[in-house]
This record gives sequence, C-alpha cells and structure tokens, in this order.
Amino acid sequence: MEEEKDAEEQQRLSYQQRLKAAVHYTVGCLCEEVALDKEMQFSKQTIAAISEVTFQQCENFAKDLEMFARHAKRSTINTEDVKLLARRSNSLLKYITEKNEDIAQFNLERKAKKKKKLEDENKNSMEPAEAGVVESEN
Amino acid sequence: MTARRCSHRARSIDRLAHVQASGHLEEQTPRTLLKNILLTAPESSILMPESVVKPVPAPQVVQASRRESGRGSLELQLPELEPPTTLAPGLLALGKRKQRLRLSVFQQGVDLGLPPSQEPHGNADASSLTSSLNLTFATPLQPQSVKRPGLARRPPTRRVVDVGTFLQDLRDTSLALAPPDTVLEDTQPFSQPLVGRSPSVHHSLPCPSYSAAKDVERAASRRTWSSGLGLQNNGAGKPAQLLAGKVEEVDALAMGFPNISSNISGEDGVEPLQNGAGEEAEERMEESLREVEKAAEAQGSARAEEPEGHIEVTEAEGSWGAVEAKEPAGSSGHEDTSGRTASPELASSTPEFLRARRLQFLEPAPPPSTAVLPSEPPEPLSARLPSKPRIPGSRPRQDPYKTGLNHYAKLFSFYAKMPMEKKAVEMVEKCLDKYFQHLCDDLEVFAAHAGRKTVRPEDLELLMRRQGLVTDQVSLHVLVERHLPLEYRQQLIPCAFSGNTVFPAQ
Repeated sequence: MEEEKDAEEQQRLSYQQRLKAAVHYTVGCLCEEVALDKEMQFSKQTIAAISEVTFQQCENFAKDLEMFARHAKRSTINTEDVKLLARRSNSLLKYITEKNEDIAQFNLERKAKKKKKLEDENKNSMEPAEAGVVESEN
Repeated sequence: MTARRCSHRARSIDRLAHVQASGHLEEQTPRTLLKNILLTAPESSILMPESVVKPVPAPQVVQASRRESGRGSLELQLPELEPPTTLAPGLLALGKRKQRLRLSVFQQGVDLGLPPSQEPHGNADASSLTSSLNLTFATPLQPQSVKRPGLARRPPTRRVVDVGTFLQDLRDTSLALAPPDTVLEDTQPFSQPLVGRSPSVHHSLPCPSYSAAKDVERAASRRTWSSGLGLQNNGAGKPAQLLAGKVEEVDALAMGFPNISSNISGEDGVEPLQNGAGEEAEERMEESLREVEKAAEAQGSARAEEPEGHIEVTEAEGSWGAVEAKEPAGSSGHEDTSGRTASPELASSTPEFLRARRLQFLEPAPPPSTAVLPSEPPEPLSARLPSKPRIPGSRPRQDPYKTGLNHYAKLFSFYAKMPMEKKAVEMVEKCLDKYFQHLCDDLEVFAAHAGRKTVRPEDLELLMRRQGLVTDQVSLHVLVERHLPLEYRQQLIPCAFSGNTVFPAQ
C-alpha cells in the first residue's frame, strides 16, 4: 500500500514537473515576443521566476474557482466564477466580460441556426404528415 | 399502604408541577427535592423540637398540609391563591411559582376527592411544621433561561461589571463607532473618570466632566448646529470652535464655566460642575483656554483663569449628583449654548445606552435652557468665526469616516512599541480604510455571487479562505474557538442544549 502511495506521489510529481516545464516554455515564448516588441531583453532568471509565479497562481486560481463554485452551490465552474476571480484588475475583467459576451452571442447564433434547421425539417416532415391526415380524415 | 399511596401521589403531583414549572431540567428524586427545599427555604430556624426533620417524610407532610387547604378550595372549583399563601409565603414571592402552586393545589383538590379518609397522620404536626419551616417544593429560580443550563451557575452580578468595563472601553477607544450621519439630540458623557487620554484632539469623546448643564445646552444647541455656529460668549466674546466638534464643545465648556462663574456669585457653582472633569476634558479645556486667552479680552481672560484653576480637580463619579443640583442654578446664567453644539460626531458617537442616561439628567434641565437658547442671535457667532484661526478645517469632513479607524490606529501604535508620528498614524488610517473597503466590497460580491442580498457567515468564511486563515486543516469554528470570547463563540458555533434545542438555530 505504501508503495502504491509512493508511486502515485512520484507520478504526480513527475506530472507536475512536466506541467511546470510546459508553463516555463510558454512563458519563455511570450517573453520573447514582448522583448521583440519593447526591444528589451529578458534574463533567464526572470523567465524562470515568472513561470514559477504563474504556476503557483494557477494553483490558487483553481482552488478559488472551486471555492466560488461551491459557494454558489454548484458543482461546475462557471463563467461567473471566472469573472469573480478576475474582478480585481479592471482591464482583465473587461476583457473577460467582452469575451464572454462574444461567446454567448456565438452560442446563441448557433442555437438559432440549429433551431431553424430543425424547424425546417419539422415543417417539411409535418406538412406531408398533415396532408396525409387530412386526406385520411376526408 | 395508604401512606405510601399518599406519598406516591404527592410525588407525582410534585413531579407534574415541577416539570411544568422548571422545564425539563431535573429528575424528581428525593435528593433533588431536598436540595430544592434547602435552596428555597426562608431564613428561619429549622430546628424545632417537634419536627424531627426526616427529609423524605417532611415534604410529604407539607404536601399533605397543603392538601388540607386545597380541600377547602375544592368547593370553589378554582384554585385560590390564599390558602397556599398561609402555608408558604415564600412560594408566592415569585410570580412564576403562583402558577405552579395553582396547578399543584388544584390537583391536590382533585385528588382529595378520592381518598378523603387519607388524612395524613400528624396533621397537627404538619401545620406546626409548615408554620415553622415554611418549606416549599418550588425549584430554586434558575438565574438564566432554561435553554442555557451551563450559564445558570454564573453569578448574575457579572453584568454590572460588564457595563462598567464597557464604558471604559468605549472611553478609551474612539467613539465614533456609530455612523456620523445620525445626529443624536441627547447624549450624555461618560460618568466615569477617564483612564487614558485620547491622543487625537478631534476625538469627540464626551467627558464626564461635562456637567448636566452642558448637556442641556448641548442638547438644545445641537438643534442649531446645522447652521454651524460657533460659541457665543456674552462676556468673553471668544469664538470657540473652529476645531472640529469636540474642541468646540470644550470651548463651550470653557466659555460656559466663565459664564457660570460670573453669573453665580460663588465659584462653588463652577467647582462641582468641573468636578466631573476627566483628564481629556482637562486637556482640551486647557487647549481651548489657551486659545481663548490668545484672543483674550479682559473679562474673558479673567474668567478663563478661574476654570483653569479648577481643572486640576479630578473628577469623582459621584459628582454627577452634585452637578445636577447645581445645574438649574447654573443654567440660569448660561447664554452661550448655541455654540456648544457638540458636533454631531460627538452626539453620534455616544452609544445609545448612554443616551438614555443623559435623558434622565436632561429632563429637569431642558426648560430653563431652551428658554435661554432661542434668544441667542446667530449673527455675533458668525462674526466671530473668521477671527479665530481655523485649525484643520478639513477635519470635520474626514472625521466621520476616520474616527472609527482611530481605534485600530491606536492599536497599531501600541504594538509598534515606538512613538509614531501623526503622519504615520494618518497613513495607517488611510490604509486601514482602503483595506476595510476592499474587504466589504469582496463580501458584497460574494453575497451577490451566491444570489443573495445579505452577507452571511458563509461569505465571511469564503473570504477567510481566500485570506488563507481558514484552510482544510483549520476550519472557521476552530478559529472562532481560538480567538473569540465565549459570548461570541456561543452565538456562532451551534451547540446542542437540553430539550432537543440547538442554539443558534440552523
């Protein structure tokens, strides 16, 4: 049993390390872009520090999101939870709300399209059916 | 056998009566019965030659004697209180017991219908017993409600102390715990000597020193405060206020004292008034008097010196009574009350229960002062305003919001163990202000997030989780237990009590 636990732990740790590595890589790419943009170089330690902070913040965010969802008595994390999380920085909040609206609109449009399709199909199937019924009644 | 039945019935009646009376606190065993009797027995000698007091038979005998009287009442079909009164006057001392008695007596009456022959032996003994012993069956009155048996053992006198320390705490901390917008008309200063001086001058902490006369003036003058008038001093002509709230009042006080002293022949009038002066009052009065003396006119300065001499008199709590006596005499001479407008901050900061106290004192006084006040014209006040240099003019605006933080700022300076600059204290106040605003915004958002309009403890728990105080290892209840006093803990952590009740209810 203990061996299993140890193995699990090790698995988790290695998984974590891989995740950290991925974050580090992404942060590095972003920093390169910014460096090109602002013509200012980033040292390796800076990138490492940023990636470390990002990783920890991700953990915090996840926990907070879970807490918020539970606070609202839900079991799924919602966009509301995300917005609550981002309320501190105004610009980020704005950005997120805009994106949210865009997505909502997009979804609505999709739904509308789907509905139309369904309705058309129904109408098509309904009319011959009705015609058939009418005929039969007659 | 009959005796046994008799005793059994007696016990069952008792049990019923007790169960109804005392709630479901105790089982009715002979031991508890005896304990109750001993607790409630009046102070009379129990040792009598005839009554060899066996604990068990004695109650039964008493019961039997009660029954005897109950028989008489049975004819009325209603239990009367009189027969029991002759038996056990101690019982009827408490209203609750009356009901218990009624029931027990009634049941006795009902019972008596069945075995009339069961004249308990020793009726004569019973009567003598009761007359001599006056034993009762009532349970001793629980000092606290049934719901909290644990607290029942606490001595009730504790409450008195709490109020006293509470007063002192209020004095020491900054007053403005109440929103400044509520202008309280009648507030009274604390009647106890101040322990520590509040460093901030603009602290509108009411002082016990303010005599009831001042209160009266203040009360009347507060109504005119909205005009923002300064002090009006007939003789001295010193515009007092300009310092926020308190200093105004202090000036008024200072002005008042000279006035009083001038109007009342003896300075005796001033002394008892000032006997109430606490240290804070001293401080401010000295300041205001200094200012007063700066712009001094001959009369004013002369008068100002008098109260200064009296200021050293430290107050005694009992001086309040003396003050009240002098007050009608003093109020006749007052003129300068419109200024005294204890600022609304002062007024608002004194908590309600002190207000109640003040009202008592103010009742005898209002008539003379109100007659005086309306006569004051506002013009001379406004004329005097510009002459006095205004010390922090912006203070009145900030005060209402910051006075509540003064308490925490003082705590901060205490824990710093080093003297702090005023600017540092102000900075701390600012930060605290922002912090609390942030906190409350968060709470509001959390409540809205859960679809509620009221902030509930769950929101606070979420907040503390985010702060890192509450973790998976440390729950909110653990923190409550660790840091809060017992009274709060009782209100926060649900606990089960007797009778299937849980407090606080969930």
